[in-house]
Formats: sequence, C-alpha cells, structure tokens
Amino acid sequence: MLGIDDPWIWTGHLFAIGLTLFCLIYGWLKFNDDGEDDING
Amino acid sequence: MVDAGVNMALFAVVAVGYLALTIALGIYGYRKTLRNEDFMVGGRKINPVILALSYGATFLSTAAIIGFGGVSGQLGMGTIWLVALNILVGLIIAFIVFGKRTRRIGKRLNALTFPDFLGRAFNSPFIQVFSAAIILMGMPIYSAAVLLGGVNFVVASLDIDRNVALFGLAIIVTLYVTYGGIIAVMYNDALQGGIMFLGMLILLAVTYIELGGVVEAHQALTNLSPQVPQPLSDAGMRGWTAFPAFGSPLWYTFVTTFLLGVGIGALAQPQLAVRYMTAESGRSLNRALMVGGIFILVVVGTAYTVGPLSNVYFFNTYGETSMQYVGQNADMIIPVFVNEIFGGSLFGELFIVLFLLTLLCAAMSTLSSLLHTMGASAGYDIWRHVRANRSGSHTAEEVLHGHDKDLVRSMRAARIGTMVMIVVTVIVTYYMPANIIARSTAVFMGLTAAALLPAYTHVLFAKEPDTRAAKWSIVAGTVTWLFWGLFIQANNANQIGLRDALFPAATWPGVPYSVIDPLVIGLPVSTVVLLAFFLYGRRKGGL
Repeated sequence: MLGIDDPWIWTGHLFAIGLTLFCLIYGWLKFNDDGEDDING
Repeated sequence: MVDAGVNMALFAVVAVGYLALTIALGIYGYRKTLRNEDFMVGGRKINPVILALSYGATFLSTAAIIGFGGVSGQLGMGTIWLVALNILVGLIIAFIVFGKRTRRIGKRLNALTFPDFLGRAFNSPFIQVFSAAIILMGMPIYSAAVLLGGVNFVVASLDIDRNVALFGLAIIVTLYVTYGGIIAVMYNDALQGGIMFLGMLILLAVTYIELGGVVEAHQALTNLSPQVPQPLSDAGMRGWTAFPAFGSPLWYTFVTTFLLGVGIGALAQPQLAVRYMTAESGRSLNRALMVGGIFILVVVGTAYTVGPLSNVYFFNTYGETSMQYVGQNADMIIPVFVNEIFGGSLFGELFIVLFLLTLLCAAMSTLSSLLHTMGASAGYDIWRHVRANRSGSHTAEEVLHGHDKDLVRSMRAARIGTMVMIVVTVIVTYYMPANIIARSTAVFMGLTAAALLPAYTHVLFAKEPDTRAAKWSIVAGTVTWLFWGLFIQANNANQIGLRDALFPAATWPGVPYSVIDPLVIGLPVSTVVLLAFFLYGRRKGGL
C-alpha cells in the first residue's frame, strides 16, 4: 500500500490515524464535560 | 559531509524579532493573568486551540523530533508504532485514566511534586525521598538528551563548534530558568506549538515533493533495502519500509527499548504528573486531548516519516545513506536533512531559522520543567527530610505533611538545586557520545516506569492503598532495572563500563537477554511484588 509492502508498517499508520480520530471525537463529545463524575475511585 | 549553515545576519535579525514577539506575548499574558480576579475562570475561557497547542509544545521536544526522528532515519519506519503508542498511552490513557484521578487526588492531598504526591498518598516519607532520588538519578540523562538535540540543530544550522553551541545554550537555559516564568505563558507555548505544527507539515510536504510524490518516495525507499549496512542486516533489519525481523536482536531493541520504553514510560513521568495536578479542570484535559492527538500525529509522525525518507534524498544526491552522510551519528540526521532541503534560498533559510528558534524554545520550556522538577526533588522532597533528621526538630511524618517556615526554606533549597542540576545537565551533555538522544530518553522513562508506575497506579485505583506493598514494589523495580541495565543489557553495560570494571572475567547472558530493555524485566517484577504484598496484606487483614 502506497509503496510500503510490510503490513506491520501500514497497519501502524492506520492505527495511529484511528487513535487520532478517537481523540478528536472524544474531545469533541466531552468538550464541556468536566469529567469528574466518571471517577469513582 | 558538506558544510551547511544559514546566513548569520538573517539569523540575528529573525532571532531578535522572535525574542521581541516572545517578550511582548509574555507581558500581554502576564497582565491578563494579573487582571483576572479568578484565574480559574480565566483559564476556562481560554481558546481551546491555544490550550491544545501549548500542551503539545510542552510535551514534545527535541528528544522526540531529533532523537527519535534520527533513529527512524537509521532503522526505518517501524517507529510509526511509537506514534500510535504515544497517542494511546501518552495521551488517551494518560489524560483520561491517569490525568483526571491525579488531578483530583493531588488537589485533595495538597501535593506540590510527584514524590510529594506519592509520599502523602501512601503516608510514607520513605516513598517521597526514594522516588525523588530516582528522579535525580535518571532525569539528568533525559534533560541532557533534550539539550543535545538543541545543540545538534544549532551546529547543523549555524555551522558553529559543538562546544560553543553547548556553552551558548547553557547560558540561555540559565536565563530561561531564572526569568522564564514571565514569558512561559500559554500564548508563547501556543506560538511555539503553532510554528512547530506548521513547520512539520511544510517539512513533510516539501520532502514528498522533492522525492517525486508519496508513492514514488515510499517505493524508492523500499528499493533502497539492498543498501542496509551488513551489521544491521545481520541484526534483523529488512529495509527502511519494513519492521525488523521478528525475534531478531534488532527486533528486541526496537520493541523493548524504543517502543515500550518510551511508549509505556510516558505514563509515570514526574514532570507530566505535575501538569495534571495543576490542570484547571477535567474538561481542560478533554479539550487538550482533542487537538493533542492531531498534534502528535503531525509533529512526531512527520519526524518518523521524514527520517527514513532522508535516505532516498541523500542516496539520490550523494550516493550515500543518511547515516553514511552524517558521519554515523543518527542524532544529526534530522538537523542536516532540514538544512539540506531548505538551504540555498531566502525563503528556505528563513524557514530553517524559524524552525531552529521554535525547536530551541520548545527545548527550553521542556528543560525548564525538567530542571524545576529535579530542583524540587532535591530541595523540597529530600533536603527537608535530611535537615529535620539532622536537627531532630520534626518527625519524618511532620515533615511529609509540611509546615510553613520549612516550606519557604525548602523553596530556596529547590532554587539552588535547580541551578546545580543545570551544571550537571551541561556536564552530562558534554560527555554524551553519538547516537544517544533516543536511548537516553528510553533510559529515563524506563527507569521511572519500572520503579514508580505500579505504585502510582495502585494509589489512583485502590480504595485503601497498601504502603508496604508500594515500598517493596518501588525498591524491587529500581533494583531490578539497575541490575539489568548495568549488567545484562549489553548496550548500557558497555557504555557505562561498571560491569567490566567489577567483573572483568565474568561471562554474561547473550542474545536475546543482552538486547532486552530493563523496563521489560523491571516493570513486571515491581507489579508482581506490589500484587503479592497487597494480596498478602488483605488476606492477613481479613483473617
């Protein structure tokens, strides 16, 4: 894929991009959430 | 290697302009802070992009861009997994799971430093002093790596002697640590973060354009695999677009030192834990996560992509791989490459100077936080106990929970400690060999994780933290890490030389043990010890 043959390398890229999307979505959804309620410890 | 170097007059003009802008933003931010009656409210009103960029500039430094960018240039694109781990562990788990609890518990305990946090949480002066000692042992190596990254970029860009660059930066570090409080406002951090972000995007785009496009550049890099040096090929390297062969010596070093050492190590970094404790609210951590993910992907991802691609550029231009071209010093690959592809035009040189100044500022703000952490460990966490013990005026428990007169004195001691640590950092930097920045970062992060991560996690999640379990876990993790690092792992053992000095005739275990990072041994040991003591204590208590 894109000139890179080793699946370990491009899955690493996909994983990094997926995690970035998670950060974006989580931050967006919890933008105004103080986040203290979900801590029970 | 061809001498590069930007025009000194251009550098001077841009540097003065940059400094003026920095001071102006500092004064603006300082006045705004003074005007706010309630700083907390002011903090909550701040633009989230400014907030996130400032987080990014504080977390990422020359060690990541120059050190690990260089390792990528030497060993290939497998470091993309470190980007994923940085986002997963250093951002998502650190902020969502650890950050919010640390902030809440730290606030309740009134803790000022990370050792103070652990000491108060476990009600143990021993844990406070011991964890401060670990910081003083490991952190100078990391701060020296950050400083060396700055030195290398100055050497490559301004074409000046290494010792002159080190001496000059040492003076700037001292000034920054002394007077930096006034300019270390969020606006300046955001300025650094913004330039760093844009600079890395431009670097990525120019690299791909220079090499003929994304697919063409990757294909050319894949085709370079016959150029992998024989010793690296024998160790398991299969090319710059391939992960090292599974189970090979290089695979063990790559995975255990560079990926896990830094990936997991990010969780128990004392200077970052203090950041969570001072965060205005849980919501500011959520917001930082949003832009922080993109920031890490672009800034670190670019460094780890451009590093390997530099091989195509140097091979097409000079017929040499990056390591050959820079004289077998991976720590010079990124600085030399940036100067090579941007040098020769006014716009390019302007970019180099701005990029250099931004990297230096990011290094200064990271160094400042590391030096203050070390100074506080020496002056606040250790010296206070030593003084009380000598005079017999207070018990260790009284010192742990603090009293005002002592606090003022310990702050003075912390300032002296910070100055001493500047000297120590400069001396360590002076003696650092080539190819050391990424490895030093892994050493510090690995040591703190092996020693402190289980106890830190325990205090955040257990309803009744077990002090005895935490004490033995910290000691076991430290001793195991030190033994493995000094005697078994060949790279560290050979570099430090203690093993051969003490036991010149002894035979030590070979591959794979000699290439496994001490973190991978030390962290399971400290975790098992904590669990064993915790479960034993609960069973005994329940009987």
